[in-house]
Amino acid sequence: MDKQRDFVLRTIEERGVKFVRLWFTDVTGTLKSVALAPAEVEGAFSEGVGFDGSAIEGLTRSFEADVLAHPDPTTFQILPWRGEIDPTARMFCDIMTPDGQPAAADPRNVLKRTLAKAADRGFTFYTHPEIEFYLLKSSKLKHGEAQPVDSAGYFDNVPGGTAHDFRRRSVRMLEDLGISVEFSHHEAGPGQNEIDLRYADALTMADNIMTFRTVIKEVAIEQGVYATFMPKPISGQPGSGMHTHMSLFEGDTNAFFDAAGQYQLSSIGRQFVAGLLRHAPEITAVTNQFVNSYKRLWGGDEAPSYLTWGHNNRSALVRVPLYKPGKGNSARVEYRAIDSAANPYLAFSLLLAAGLKGIEEGYELPPEADGDVWALSDSERRALGYDSLPASLDAALHLMEDSELVAETLGEQVYEYVLLNKRREWAGYRAQVTPFELSTNLEIL
Amino acid sequence: MTRTTTTLTELARLGFADLSGAGEGLRDVPAELIPLFATAADPDQALRLLRGLLESAPDVVAPVLADESAARRLIRVLGASSGLADFLSHRPEQLNVLREPLRALPSADSYLALLLDAVEGVGGEAGWNSLRIAYRRELTRLAAWDLEQPDGQLVVDRVAAALADLAAAALDAALALARQASRFPKEEVAATRLAIIGMGKAGARELNYLSDVDVIFVAGADAASRIGDGETDGEPLSEGRAVEIATRLAMDTMRAIQELAVEPPLWEVDANLRPEGKDGALVRSLESHLAYYERWAKSWEFQALLKARAMAGDRELGERYVAGVAPMVWSSASRENFVESVQAMRERVTAHIPPEEVEVQLKLGPGGLRDVEFTIQLLQLVHGHSDPDVRQRSTLDALAALADRGYIGRVEATEFGSDYRFLRLLEHRIQLSRLRRTHLMPRDPDALRALARGSGVATTADGLLEAWQRVKQTVRTLHERLFYRPLLSAVAALPDDGYALTSAQAEARLAAIGFHDPRGALHHIAALTSGVSRRAQIQRNLLPVMLGWFAEGADPDLGLLNFRRLSDDLGETYWFLRMLRDSSGAAHRLTHVLSSSRFVGVLFERIPEAAAWLETDGELRPRSLADLLDETAATVARHSDEVDAAALALRTARRREVLRLALAGILGMITIEELGEGLSDITSALLTGALALCHRWGDGIEFGIIALGRYGGRELGFGSDADIVYVYEPAGASPEDAAHRAEVIVRELKRLTEDLRLPLDLDLGLRPEGKNGAVVRSLDSYRAYYDRWSLTWEAQALLRARGAVGDPGVLRAFESLADEVRYPASISQADVREVKRIKARVEAERLPGGVDPARHLKLGRGSLSDVEWFVQLLQLQHAAAFPALRTTSTLQALDAAVAAELMPAADAAKLRVAWIIASRARSAMTLWTAKTADVLPTDRQQLEGVARLLEYPPGGAARLEEDYLRTTRLARQVFERRFYGGLK
Repeated sequence: MDKQRDFVLRTIEERGVKFVRLWFTDVTGTLKSVALAPAEVEGAFSEGVGFDGSAIEGLTRSFEADVLAHPDPTTFQILPWRGEIDPTARMFCDIMTPDGQPAAADPRNVLKRTLAKAADRGFTFYTHPEIEFYLLKSSKLKHGEAQPVDSAGYFDNVPGGTAHDFRRRSVRMLEDLGISVEFSHHEAGPGQNEIDLRYADALTMADNIMTFRTVIKEVAIEQGVYATFMPKPISGQPGSGMHTHMSLFEGDTNAFFDAAGQYQLSSIGRQFVAGLLRHAPEITAVTNQFVNSYKRLWGGDEAPSYLTWGHNNRSALVRVPLYKPGKGNSARVEYRAIDSAANPYLAFSLLLAAGLKGIEEGYELPPEADGDVWALSDSERRALGYDSLPASLDAALHLMEDSELVAETLGEQVYEYVLLNKRREWAGYRAQVTPFELSTNLEIL
Repeated sequence: MTRTTTTLTELARLGFADLSGAGEGLRDVPAELIPLFATAADPDQALRLLRGLLESAPDVVAPVLADESAARRLIRVLGASSGLADFLSHRPEQLNVLREPLRALPSADSYLALLLDAVEGVGGEAGWNSLRIAYRRELTRLAAWDLEQPDGQLVVDRVAAALADLAAAALDAALALARQASRFPKEEVAATRLAIIGMGKAGARELNYLSDVDVIFVAGADAASRIGDGETDGEPLSEGRAVEIATRLAMDTMRAIQELAVEPPLWEVDANLRPEGKDGALVRSLESHLAYYERWAKSWEFQALLKARAMAGDRELGERYVAGVAPMVWSSASRENFVESVQAMRERVTAHIPPEEVEVQLKLGPGGLRDVEFTIQLLQLVHGHSDPDVRQRSTLDALAALADRGYIGRVEATEFGSDYRFLRLLEHRIQLSRLRRTHLMPRDPDALRALARGSGVATTADGLLEAWQRVKQTVRTLHERLFYRPLLSAVAALPDDGYALTSAQAEARLAAIGFHDPRGALHHIAALTSGVSRRAQIQRNLLPVMLGWFAEGADPDLGLLNFRRLSDDLGETYWFLRMLRDSSGAAHRLTHVLSSSRFVGVLFERIPEAAAWLETDGELRPRSLADLLDETAATVARHSDEVDAAALALRTARRREVLRLALAGILGMITIEELGEGLSDITSALLTGALALCHRWGDGIEFGIIALGRYGGRELGFGSDADIVYVYEPAGASPEDAAHRAEVIVRELKRLTEDLRLPLDLDLGLRPEGKNGAVVRSLDSYRAYYDRWSLTWEAQALLRARGAVGDPGVLRAFESLADEVRYPASISQADVREVKRIKARVEAERLPGGVDPARHLKLGRGSLSDVEWFVQLLQLQHAAAFPALRTTSTLQALDAAVAAELMPAADAAKLRVAWIIASRARSAMTLWTAKTADVLPTDRQQLEGVARLLEYPPGGAARLEEDYLRTTRLARQVFERRFYGGLK
């Protein structure tokens, strides 16, 4: 840590950094930023930067007005899109109360706490997300609809297309920020792209995802287009998910790997998956936190609406992917419900908590689903015992309200805030009369 | 050689335990050597090991035995250390060391010369072996010297210093081996400077026979060196290259000491005190060290630097390191988190010891070595800031310096110096025995006996244990006597102390243990201890202990202030002085309650004599209602003609009994249920007395006070209002006269019970027609009212109606009237709905604006009113069918509902714990602030005070908050499901 702080202060001097942005994330997953002059950074390390937390929604309750942002020196990076004029850097922060305790409502602290719990059991948690997003011509709608930049499809190479340049530039920028990219390609929807980040420990990855969203938005501005992580921006087209691969390590060993297990999945891995399946409904209000998220989850195609798992089954909620023989350490499971608009700190916390619960309680993994779960009839699914994810934000919130797992993982205050905030969103959504109702009802009623 | 058989008695006198075995074994031993066994710590062991040596290496043993003084040394060593015996049996050629005894303890230089000599010209593993053999040879010689001393305690510090010097020489020799074997170019190795800084006990030259040696490595380049290609002049070695080479050298140095080889490793070289600990670079340059400490070091690292010493390697570089870091140890920057660091230090002192070890721990645990070291270091850090003289490395030197400079008394310094020597001597002997790193006293009686003999502390196992217990007991009082007692000398010249702290020094000490206003505290200490009164004298003795207790409380400053007030009030009261002097349990309790509660502080001012109860658990039990009423009756009878004087006496009695419950509550001696019953009974006793003063028998009416709400349920908390209604029945008087009479009584009751110090709010808000209704009604009027307006909420209020005070006839009549209303044979769906609707409206409207519902203790989410409404609705619906539900107590009704299978036990349990935590938090808030408040505080300090009263450990504020929010949320879930029901 201390070495890192030295490094930060030295780099600021050497690179002539003019501004240092302190980043943190509010409960809804929006990135917040405070800019510091270089001379203030040393003080920020030792004492933190005070600000009025009540101004930030969900971060603190109004009475906890004064909080301190403590920058984490290991997250220091120069922001590449600022160029050489007035170089600007950023660090992620932990939010503390004046008496030096982590603020209960800091999402980063929620994840840290959950990771510490896993560490107590000897586990480190790694994730690797595949982030989908749409490139639109602008944020303005045309005829009430979003306008994608192209009409290409999955893995299409678009000659001279915006998307190609866009991905190249974004990947370059991400690499400059120290975020390794595994893979990037055009996705199935028009203007839809996917960039896969190389696996990292969950805290780093959550930070990376927040950075990633900013980078993508910045590059879009640079190129005169608009990028959106909205889960389902265009009806009839695939939504933007954030399939997340997860693994637990015990020291240097992948705890999910067992050469003798089915699909080389260890019993710990099976219990983890069982935990995910059992608790998926109650964590959905966080992994899929918007009204719009449920348009993706129930939009057909490959959306994982049913609580099933499978080996390379693209309709299952949890997939145990194939990996190259001899690469035991890449054993992992993929959770497919989470979308690109989730707060990664909270979502990762809950996925980990659900999996750990499965391990702690020794849950039995149900039989795997083979074949397309969507192709089954309701009765068939019922016969096979395939339950489903909640169909709306409202339903998801009801499930979350009864969840001790979520309350315990998020802590009472974040838990309350998420419920409050999301109930408000649902109420607002329900209050409107939609074009669908008008076009189907008005003329006949 | 003539053999004389030795009698068993003689063997016993020599100290053998296994007499027949010894007789057998001694046959092979020359007779003139037999008396020498008396000097062995464990003669049996000495004999056994000697015979082993005689068998395996007769040729080398013979010359040793031939020399009587060498033989004596050998027997002593064998008797005290099977570890050294192992060494000698593997290396019998080293036995001759016993023929070359030490005349005096060798200097560091002579050890260095010996060990360097041993590695001269040998490389690789052979070098390691040679180094280790030479070390152990010297260790044997040193142990032999140590064991020969008439009083081991007197030389324990010199032996420890010699051990540190020997360890330093071993490091130097190991470094020489490393340099010799280095694969870097010769001239570069030569130009690489490496200093080994000793830390901890090695740094302080107070090393044990076998402990880890804490070190830090510092590298530098020789500025005069010229590294070139032979043609040009060359450049000095670069700093970076020097660090690279030095890192390799440091690693090889450590390996020479601790890696496995034919001759076993010596000890662990522990370099983890370096910057950044295990994750940091093993070797740094001097500049890098200093830069690190200047910028980042944590307070505890500075504390460790207190003992830093240039121990081995490049002395000049090492001295520069020590000189460089020394100012930082004492700089202001290191004092920012001083109080926290001290607490962390204290935690290390009381660090978790496995329970099975507590009894045998020499180092940790109460009265152990760590206690001495903690107190001395704390005093050094507090006073070394301004006084360089106390900046000593070793514990004994520091103790002497603190006494010299007057920070502690000379008598104490001498006393604890010898206790420390005693404990260290035992530690030395235990470690020497098997050359193991241990701080545990043996449990085996034979081993204890050997230890007693070997240390010269006693002759038997029991004698040793007794002596050790005595030392432990004094060491336990050490902290108080060295740290707190001198505080008094800062404010009062005490003739026989021989030391005097300045007030600035005393303030530094007080601030270090958590007083926010040390100056104010010192002022109170002065007032409490100055003068020649008996009280001042006793307080001088007691205050040092009490200050430590206050420092453990939630608010030390408040505790001291409260104590001063109490002491001023009680003055020379005989029992108070006796209690302080003789009953440390009571004094400890007193400090605890005084530093936890403003409420108690206020009441103590009026009733200082209550302090006496703290001595006896029985005095802290709530008094029964019968006892209270007896006292009330006696008071009323005594003052039959002076109403106001009688009322005053009654109010005083109420304060006294409330204080009793407050003390019991803080000390965790009563449950929240007992508290509720106790406070309700106290209220009833006061009202009974007051009523007796204004309503005499035969005045023409019967009069009664009906308790409602929490008073009705006997669930009052500190600061609760007492909900009541009044009822009367004419008994001879005309209806008009009776009504008039009753109104006069009501007015009188209010006047007689009014208490500004400890307000009693008689709340009539639940009477029929509320604020617009008559303050008192006749029984008939109530009957007519309930017949006409049987509103459900009235029935609900009556559920908790209890005839509390007054004429039994009218009380009974009211209760049976209430039964008709509150336990209806059936209740309509519409009425049930109405109850639910009113509850929903209360939730929406009664909560004060801006208050977080999750934190409101009374009307909040899942708190008191949710549980109470839930229970009351069940009672309205089912009490007719289930008589057990006919109770005014919320918790009893909840139990009855489970017994009647109206709800699952699991749900009832959730409601019960929520009701309890909210009730407890509410009472704790009143105790902490002396004000009534209904919202769980958000301010951390307030929350901490409440948490401490709820028996959370220090720093438990966040845990209380999380527990409260969780408990009430779960209760709310039950409430919503079972009370409102249906869809959410």
